[in-house]
Amino acid sequence: MVETGLRLAKPELTLGKKIVGISWPLVFLILITAGLGLAVLYSVADGAVDTWVRAQSIRIGIGLVLMFAIALVDIRLFLRLAYVGYFGALILLIAVEVAGSIGMGAQRWLEIGGLRIQPSELMKVALVLALARYFHERSMEEVHKLRWLFIPVAMIAAPALLVIRQPDLGTALLLIFGGGVMFILAGVRLRVFAVVAVAVVGAIPFLWRSLRGYQRDRILTFLDPERDPLGAGYHIIQSKIALGAGGVFGRGFREGTQSQLNFLPESQTDFIFTTLAEEFGLVGGLGLLGLYTLMLALSVIIALRSRNHFGRLLALGLGATFFFYVFINIGMVTGLLPVVGVPLPLVSFGGTAMVTLLAGFGLMLSVHIHREVLIPRRLGGTFS
Amino acid sequence: MSGVVLMGQRGADPTGTPPNQRVRVSASSGGDALGTGHARLTVVATFFAIAFAIVAGRIIDLSAFNDDRGTGTSASVATGQSVRGDIVDRNGVVLASSLAVASLYAEPRRIADPALATEALMAVLPTLDHGQVFEKLSTGKSFVWLQRHLTPSQQMAVNALGVPGLGFRTEQRRVYPHGALAAHVVGYAGIDNHGLGGIEQYFDADLLGGGGQVSALELSIDVRTQYALQEELALALEEFQAIGAAGLVLDARTGEIIAMVSLPNFDPNQIGTSLADGRFNRASLGVYELGSTLKILTIAMALEFGTATLESEFDATEPLRVGRFTIRDDHPESRWLSVPEIFIHSSNIGAARMAMEVGADRQQEFLNRMGLMSRAGVQLPEVGTPIVPKPWRDTSTMTVAFGHGIAVSPLQFAGAVAATINGGWAVPPTLIKSQGPVDRQRVLSGETSEAIRRLLRLNVLEGTGTLAAAPGFLVGGKTGTAEKARGGGYQSDALVSSFVGAFPMNDPRYVVLALLDEPQGNDSTKGFATAGWTAAPVVSRVISRIGPLLGVEPVDTISRTAQQALFISLDGRTAGAAF
Repeated sequence: MVETGLRLAKPELTLGKKIVGISWPLVFLILITAGLGLAVLYSVADGAVDTWVRAQSIRIGIGLVLMFAIALVDIRLFLRLAYVGYFGALILLIAVEVAGSIGMGAQRWLEIGGLRIQPSELMKVALVLALARYFHERSMEEVHKLRWLFIPVAMIAAPALLVIRQPDLGTALLLIFGGGVMFILAGVRLRVFAVVAVAVVGAIPFLWRSLRGYQRDRILTFLDPERDPLGAGYHIIQSKIALGAGGVFGRGFREGTQSQLNFLPESQTDFIFTTLAEEFGLVGGLGLLGLYTLMLALSVIIALRSRNHFGRLLALGLGATFFFYVFINIGMVTGLLPVVGVPLPLVSFGGTAMVTLLAGFGLMLSVHIHREVLIPRRLGGTFS
Repeated sequence: MSGVVLMGQRGADPTGTPPNQRVRVSASSGGDALGTGHARLTVVATFFAIAFAIVAGRIIDLSAFNDDRGTGTSASVATGQSVRGDIVDRNGVVLASSLAVASLYAEPRRIADPALATEALMAVLPTLDHGQVFEKLSTGKSFVWLQRHLTPSQQMAVNALGVPGLGFRTEQRRVYPHGALAAHVVGYAGIDNHGLGGIEQYFDADLLGGGGQVSALELSIDVRTQYALQEELALALEEFQAIGAAGLVLDARTGEIIAMVSLPNFDPNQIGTSLADGRFNRASLGVYELGSTLKILTIAMALEFGTATLESEFDATEPLRVGRFTIRDDHPESRWLSVPEIFIHSSNIGAARMAMEVGADRQQEFLNRMGLMSRAGVQLPEVGTPIVPKPWRDTSTMTVAFGHGIAVSPLQFAGAVAATINGGWAVPPTLIKSQGPVDRQRVLSGETSEAIRRLLRLNVLEGTGTLAAAPGFLVGGKTGTAEKARGGGYQSDALVSSFVGAFPMNDPRYVVLALLDEPQGNDSTKGFATAGWTAAPVVSRVISRIGPLLGVEPVDTISRTAQQALFISLDGRTAGAAF
């Protein structure tokens, strides 16, 4: 079954084989999670469909179509388009800086033909793709040399800095962490990470000074939420109360007082986990975490089974971004981490995030379908 | 994170790659990207697993073992129903009580016609906002508050409307019959029935746990005294255009606070519209450099440690130079002064010299013993921490001797003064009515205390405190005028003028303190804003009013016996023995 490294000798996959080759367990998990999300949105809207559920369903539908379409595309096409996509997303980010609309004190959206998109969301996928291509094309020796690392560091830094300016610390962290994981996977020497870690710790005083007032407030509040119970600490305290109130089995669907009585603002977006945990209790919270864990495990398995470096980096890079979404969001609402605006994947209300996330899963499925494809370090021949 | 990765790299290679794998990889020119990739992938996956395990642990911790549930911040909703106990003054006058009142809510889901319901409600509760009510009723939510704390007639009117989907919940409303009087002592409770300041906050759990009117919390406050003190301070505040004032009446034998006033004040019944400056308790939370009143303690200290007697003399011929500082007297006598003269002329030089002979260590120990080095232990959340010199240099010793470089709350200072005149017993200030004799701790000898009494009386008879005299009462006391510090220096136009007095001096019962924050002089004071002109008269008037209330018998203050009992000559000789 294993062919030689020559792409010409490999039998092309038919469409039928591709569809059979889709990781259906992963699709199944995605559908369950998104469905759960819709149920919670229904509850938060106090039984109204119009408020959020309808819009969210439409986005999930669009996202799923996109996911399947992407899954069936030959992975080498994504390799080829990786840099183009990256620069496209970067240009959109700059466009936001110049002409974006402002919402909730942050400049994140761009209107194109009536569509409001958040380029920072697109960048999450585009960056992983671009880094996967970059490291795919490097030999182990090159990866071990520092001079080959400047370009990928710049590839992370450019969008991260733009996103921080919006300001959107959460997305910037996702980009940095997601990209950092790609470095680890690519085989960059671990001592480099040690040096970076030391440098970051050393830079904390300077970073602190460059933070905005509200960002400092959030960190101080994280350390002591009772510091300002009606101000910056409000979210965390109310969210902890909701989690505590849920207990093991929850208060029951649509019975959560914290969210139903509006103690919790933003309960349809970043703090939606709180509503879930209040109404479905510990069982619901751990259940959702279990779903995420299974999805993450599948992404690791997909990465392991990929016989090409690009696919492996891509699958796990996407998996890592997904992981950080979950970790930062739940960590935040449970008071483990400071408050940063990161949605709960597949559950939080939000258009671009949902669609890009499903597109990302489409890429992961494509990696899975094309796992046996061997890709030379440099593409050439018929594809160039 | 790097630690996790390093550990994982050593231990978690699923393919059992030998340790020299890295060397092999580096040596091969092509690079075994897939091999390294596998190892690294496992490392990252392990990291994910650990992180998720931590998150899962946290969720379990919060959901299943949440100790916060039912207490503290999370209890606000549940405790709306419990009844707070009353707070009464030492004679049983109610200062805070709870009334059961109805609060109006709506279940918008069950409201058929929001517009109609809004119209009906507006007819009986015209103070509501029409737009807001309509909006609330149109939301389709399951619960919204419309109006908290209705009067019984309002409740009846709403009930008579017969609109389905409206309902009442019985809530407890806190009422303060005396309003702003003693507001800083009693504090206030919020709409959710939790104490948010003063006694209400300090004893929040006890008041909630007491379960109603059975046992009221008895304070040491006497509202009549409180009223007299507040009124006199308010008059002085207005007369001298001060930005604030504080006053205290303390039982010198028990430490009970009979009255505590801070101006401006606030009405706890209308806490929502009060100002932060009004809620600030200048008497217990504010700390001030009190100036010369501290000389009471300096002299007590020197007498106590035996470095001076009443007849000792100190050189005040010229200003005292210490490093870059020069200590001067406001009214220089430019000669050697006896201890009584230092006191009644309020000589900074003399006080500084007395303190130097005691020394910095013993001075700190003494002030600590008198309760000035740490927060007062009174039953209020609003208690200020004194500001003391750090490090404590020789200059500190000298300036603290006349009340500069150390900032204390008026409350703790009044407590210290009580100990100097009550025979030498420490009496920590308390707001709770004393239930009989307390264990007292001696901090000064009886002789020192007696000497201080005589000096305080002398100062009202012949010194800076003459305006504090009150007919029929043997008043003693000391003035203190301090410039307020700002930036690196002191402002001569922003003073804190205070007077601490006590009466009757032959057997002191009460300490009375009055403090004016930034008073301005006027014609009646010949333009002076100093304590002798502004704060001392307040104490005089307060004592005239409260002496009879508190059962202190007036005496003939110029009678021979009274004079003799408290006699002290300017060279420090005493006569008589009233004690």
